[in-house]
Amino acid sequence: MSLLEQRYRSVLRLLPASYRAEREEEMVAAFMELSGEVPDELNAHPRWGEVASVLALSVRVRLGASSASPRSFAWGEAVRLVALLGLAFQSLYAVFTVADLFRRVTLDGDPGFVGAPGSFERLLIVGGSGMVVCSAFAFIAIMQGRAGVAKIAAVLGVAPVTASFLMSILVLGPSGGRALSEAGGLVFTAVPVIALLLGFHGDVPPRRRSWALTLAPLAAGVVALGWVEVAGALRLYLSPWLYLWLDLAGMTIPVWAAASVALPARRRPPSAALAMSAFGLLLLADRLPLLDYMPEGVPWAMACAQCVLLGVLAAALAWAGVRALPGGRAAVLPGPDQVGERSG
Amino acid sequence: MNITEPMFLALTALVDEPRHGYGIVQEVDRLSEGRVQLKIGTLYGVLDRLSAEGLVALDREEVRQGRLRRYYRLTDEGADALREEAARMAANAGAANARLRARLRSQAAGGAA
Repeated sequence: MSLLEQRYRSVLRLLPASYRAEREEEMVAAFMELSGEVPDELNAHPRWGEVASVLALSVRVRLGASSASPRSFAWGEAVRLVALLGLAFQSLYAVFTVADLFRRVTLDGDPGFVGAPGSFERLLIVGGSGMVVCSAFAFIAIMQGRAGVAKIAAVLGVAPVTASFLMSILVLGPSGGRALSEAGGLVFTAVPVIALLLGFHGDVPPRRRSWALTLAPLAAGVVALGWVEVAGALRLYLSPWLYLWLDLAGMTIPVWAAASVALPARRRPPSAALAMSAFGLLLLADRLPLLDYMPEGVPWAMACAQCVLLGVLAAALAWAGVRALPGGRAAVLPGPDQVGERSG
Repeated sequence: MNITEPMFLALTALVDEPRHGYGIVQEVDRLSEGRVQLKIGTLYGVLDRLSAEGLVALDREEVRQGRLRRYYRLTDEGADALREEAARMAANAGAANARLRARLRSQAAGGAA
């Protein structure tokens, strides 16, 4: 076996074992015919294009569309649902961001908050808020079957939190509570975007969902905004028991927990349990850094309670989802009755 | 089903005879005059999708010089799908050409006036 063949077989290990069992020899044969005889002395590697094509195939096989095996389809649906849940949350956040920006610019009017009119600082703040709104556009686009537009908007939407994370690393260094918090925020925001990029691949047919579902997160954001105003008027933020349940992630945790508990009773598919588990872990990534800097006493205990709730429920959902997954991968090729005799 | 260009070319490559993986890569390269050079991972993604839709099927297997070759053939459903897609593309091309001819005529008339 030549060095090039060995290296190509290593690349093929990106594919699931069941797929390799059916396709590896055939793919190696095609690749070696394409490459021709290459002496080991040349120390040849598979080209990046070939590696990328195997990587893309691996994603398609593992995160299948409806025509894939039930197990691969279930994983694919789980990843796609994580993308939708994450972007739905970002849509809620976009409502808060726009409302906050509007209030700061029009009502408060303090240049200390938004920079002087026409200044670079204001451009940065308004631009950053605009990019957060891109996540809401991404959600609307994917719900209306526009995967390409959704992917571009989602990548733009994750830019502010990425920039904030990089700034905190550069300014404060990789350790410290702020960096940990920024890292948690980055994981929470970026993972759904990665799920969107991977899950909605070319095999997944565009699917348009109802406008009611599409706009539901924005409506929920307005409701949540109203609740925050009410909570502010009632001075609920002063209560150490309630403080951590009144921000957007804090409000989402009980909703997520209620939906998670309702899941098994409603006999949802395993993909829903897995996606809810993953979303719970993302909320946990956002919440865990609180343990580092929350004051001792009730606030720290509340942060701890949220983390325990998220961790335990997410683990239970993952266990239920994995157990309910359908069996192994179906054959990609037609049955042997359709295959002629082997000739040597 | 949305037939992408690599899928269209792979189906076209199988119209005249069954071909194995590398044979399809070569034929697609010829058909597209070198514009589309299928990577092996892309080819098998295309073959998976076409097989799942019943547009191509495994024809036979051979072992040549110790290497496995699987030959794929176009099914009747595949031929129908290719015919429909080719007709759709021809109709689009016809519409584009008709409008381009009309544009040329109007430009010529404008130049003459």
